[in-house]
Amino acid sequence: MIELNPYLPEMATILETVQETPTIKTFRVRLDDPGRMQAFSFQPGQVGQLSVFGVGESTFVINSSPTRMDHLQFSVMRAGEVTTRLHGLAAGDKVGVRAPLGNHFPYESMRGKDIVFIGGGIGMAPLRTLLLFMLDNRADYGRISLLYGARSPEDMAFKTDLPEWSSRGDMTTVLTIDREAEGWEHRVGLIPNVLLEMAPSADNAVAVTCGPPIMIKFTLQALKKLGFADEQIYTTLEKRMKCGVGLCGRCNIGTKYVCVDGPVFSYAELRELPNEL
Amino acid sequence: MSPFETLKEKIREALPGLDCVIGWRQGFDPLHATPFFMRAPEDVEKLVWSPLCVHNLSTYLPSFRGKKVGIVLKGCDSRGVIELLQEKLVERENLVLFGLPCSGVADLTKLGRAAGDLDRVSAVAWDEAGFTLATPRGEVRVARRDALADKCLSCQFPNALEADHLPGDPLPPATGPDLGDEELAALEAMAPADLMARWAAEMSRCIRCYACRNACPMCVCRDHCIAQSRDPHWLSQEDSPREKLMFQLIHTMHLAGRCVECGECQRACPVDIPILALRRKMNRVVRELFDYQAGLDSQAVPPLFTFQVEEANIKERKW
Amino acid sequence: MVMSAAAYLPAPKLGEWLKELSVRHLVLAPQARGDAVVFAPYAEGGEIVLDRDATMPPKQAVFPATEELLRFRRVKDPEDPGRVDVELSASQPAPKTVVFGARPCGTRGFLAYDRVYRSPKTTDPYYAARRDATLFVTVACTAPGNSCFCHWVGSGPDDASGSDLLLTPVTGGFVVLAVSGRGDELLGSPLLEPAGDRTAEAEKVLAAVRAALPPAPDISGARDGLTAVFDDMGFWDEVSAKCVSCGACTYLCPTCYCFNITDEGDGLAGRRLRTWDNCMSFQFTLEASGHNPRPTKAHRLRNRVGHKFSYYPALHEGAVACCGCGRCVRGCPVSVDIREIVLAAIVRAARAREETAHD
Repeated sequence: MIELNPYLPEMATILETVQETPTIKTFRVRLDDPGRMQAFSFQPGQVGQLSVFGVGESTFVINSSPTRMDHLQFSVMRAGEVTTRLHGLAAGDKVGVRAPLGNHFPYESMRGKDIVFIGGGIGMAPLRTLLLFMLDNRADYGRISLLYGARSPEDMAFKTDLPEWSSRGDMTTVLTIDREAEGWEHRVGLIPNVLLEMAPSADNAVAVTCGPPIMIKFTLQALKKLGFADEQIYTTLEKRMKCGVGLCGRCNIGTKYVCVDGPVFSYAELRELPNEL
Repeated sequence: MSPFETLKEKIREALPGLDCVIGWRQGFDPLHATPFFMRAPEDVEKLVWSPLCVHNLSTYLPSFRGKKVGIVLKGCDSRGVIELLQEKLVERENLVLFGLPCSGVADLTKLGRAAGDLDRVSAVAWDEAGFTLATPRGEVRVARRDALADKCLSCQFPNALEADHLPGDPLPPATGPDLGDEELAALEAMAPADLMARWAAEMSRCIRCYACRNACPMCVCRDHCIAQSRDPHWLSQEDSPREKLMFQLIHTMHLAGRCVECGECQRACPVDIPILALRRKMNRVVRELFDYQAGLDSQAVPPLFTFQVEEANIKERKW
Repeated sequence: MVMSAAAYLPAPKLGEWLKELSVRHLVLAPQARGDAVVFAPYAEGGEIVLDRDATMPPKQAVFPATEELLRFRRVKDPEDPGRVDVELSASQPAPKTVVFGARPCGTRGFLAYDRVYRSPKTTDPYYAARRDATLFVTVACTAPGNSCFCHWVGSGPDDASGSDLLLTPVTGGFVVLAVSGRGDELLGSPLLEPAGDRTAEAEKVLAAVRAALPPAPDISGARDGLTAVFDDMGFWDEVSAKCVSCGACTYLCPTCYCFNITDEGDGLAGRRLRTWDNCMSFQFTLEASGHNPRPTKAHRLRNRVGHKFSYYPALHEGAVACCGCGRCVRGCPVSVDIREIVLAAIVRAARAREETAHD
């Protein structure tokens, strides 16, 4: 086997899966080579390619935290060929992992600031890694608030995390769904509207948002109303990717390759890119 | 006024009510005409009509669906339009058809055999007997048979079969040799193993660009072609003659009873693989079985779009 | 680097020389296949076509249309038959190869690859292995055609960059010049003679070709011009109207380096392949959700031209990802002309700038 082959995945074993929602399944995996697992490091926001051999690879954010390295966690929304096959896998099954790839959230420059997380649907995954990282380095950051929304209660992912996040005294957690549902005890309303009601201060704050394009569009408008500048807003982009190392040529937006220059961009950076999302 | 000038006048008159009229203009060198989308009356001055207007422009029509467009047609091109009308892929009321009698178009691959380097031809002229090419080696004269597309030598439909404007006197059918038939006869005389080896050799230079598919007026699946689907996964990405020939067979099967034999598939092939023979063979089968030729009658139903318990020429039920 | 003096190869000895090179190398040379000319393995007696540029560029020599990235095999764990392991293996074949008879433009295409595939950030090991094992014996171009524009993109008919040997056709044969250390090593053949006065003839030949080229327009405005017209969809609709969205331009291009990765196999064992891909295809950027950031051919052609003449130069010190060979123009079934699009974008951007200035 050749060293430094960026196409060659590490073999990994699925330790555990969680059916988060009807379409989202979470995989906790560990690299088979204990030395490799020991040496593995990544930064919050970086992504990995999961392989189902014979089917292909697909890109997902590593949504566990680098501060908790007993496993790597990926959450997969069923959409295409690879994700459908991944959903059929269970604990003990093998997958290939190519990670870490891409850039990461600038968590260093966020130190000392208030952090506002705004996630919609599967868009909660990239926020989770940064949120956990910050909670594990709690003293470094100011107020932390999370607004997480989904269409309905059953579309809420990370249900095992939510009770802890909601009960912690050192963060604010607001959950919302689009329409009333029986037994739902949290907010009802679209994310941008709930965000305006929460009205987090833009002073010395950073907003980190991810979700479906329509939610992002209106969330941006809401953040603007609240006084957030483009430089204070971060998001992660998704593109069809193959190589993950800037060669295969499909994920570029002008001169930027989402697989190596992203997936994390500030809105100030996105403003400078051609309009081709 | 020449038929072409008359046609230009008709196009100018029609343009204000149309999204565009599709014709040809001069391309990057003397030998190349190129598809041209006229939108303003002044564009019509750039319209050209010559034996270098090789493209079957009907291939663009489905992408204009719902818009009113005009199109300039040779006889063979009009069969593409008719087939699209039959399959309800374009609407007749949205089309203005400008036909011109055509006495044949060049086959640049054949001209290249005479010219050597086609890219160094600095001028071209033609008359009834053939073409004259100005090359660095001097003037090269190419006889009609060695210059025109094979389909033109024996063309039965030199005039647009469906047209709103058809200036000029209709031309009689061509009486030249059917070189396509000769090619098929030669292929059919080969032993199966030799034939397979021949196709493997030809297909080995295929680069899977799918120009054959995308230039074909009847290839309407376009962005959703089975060749590039992973589910179902009929073709692999292996760079083998088998996979490449398999696509040709998919294309041929998909064109059964629909192919108007315009030859765009072969003309578009950047590495000149003689793939039209496969479609010709299928057309012959369809003609024998169903007594049917595609693209002649916009009211007809293509044979594979219909079902008859008693097909006259299918004998198997009597076995 | 010490270069040998120029040598001379008499034309009748070309076959013998290629045969000699074939002893230690796979020699790929332009040969007729039907009506096309492709780089194919040389076998004794094979007829080399040098009187026109090859239909296909030599890119397959270093970047095959399909390359195996890895093999996988599912195996049952002997300790625990319920457990299935996956074995992976990868190899980087790199046959020692000589590409003979490419024109300078075809050879130079690999320089566009090198900046990406062997950048300080990333090395593609498959590419690097083949690249290192491949020598280029380039024949200077004495016959530029109607679609050629190498001199627009900073090159020329005798550009030796990327080559190991440069051959110049002279009376009765070729003057052979080593332009790299590895090329120097090829000059030891007893079939080669000292070039003597023929060097002067070669220089005359090349000067004549350079002089015969029509003047090249200034395309230095392309980088900013293409950025400026990015949102002008009317422009892109117009220039892409006749495009049929096939992949001929990209697969014929010596610099187009995009690829796809797919798994092929029956599930128990198979191969992961890297295959030439094509930015003009709808599927290229189609996401599993159904969203496509480049949904029409206008969007796709914008990226193709933008990448070559704007984005790539911005990332690679002004180098254009185009060698001006003209294959995309010649090979296009409808004669889409990238030269015309680049010039039109520059004009359009300038006009837009003037209009803004007047507002």
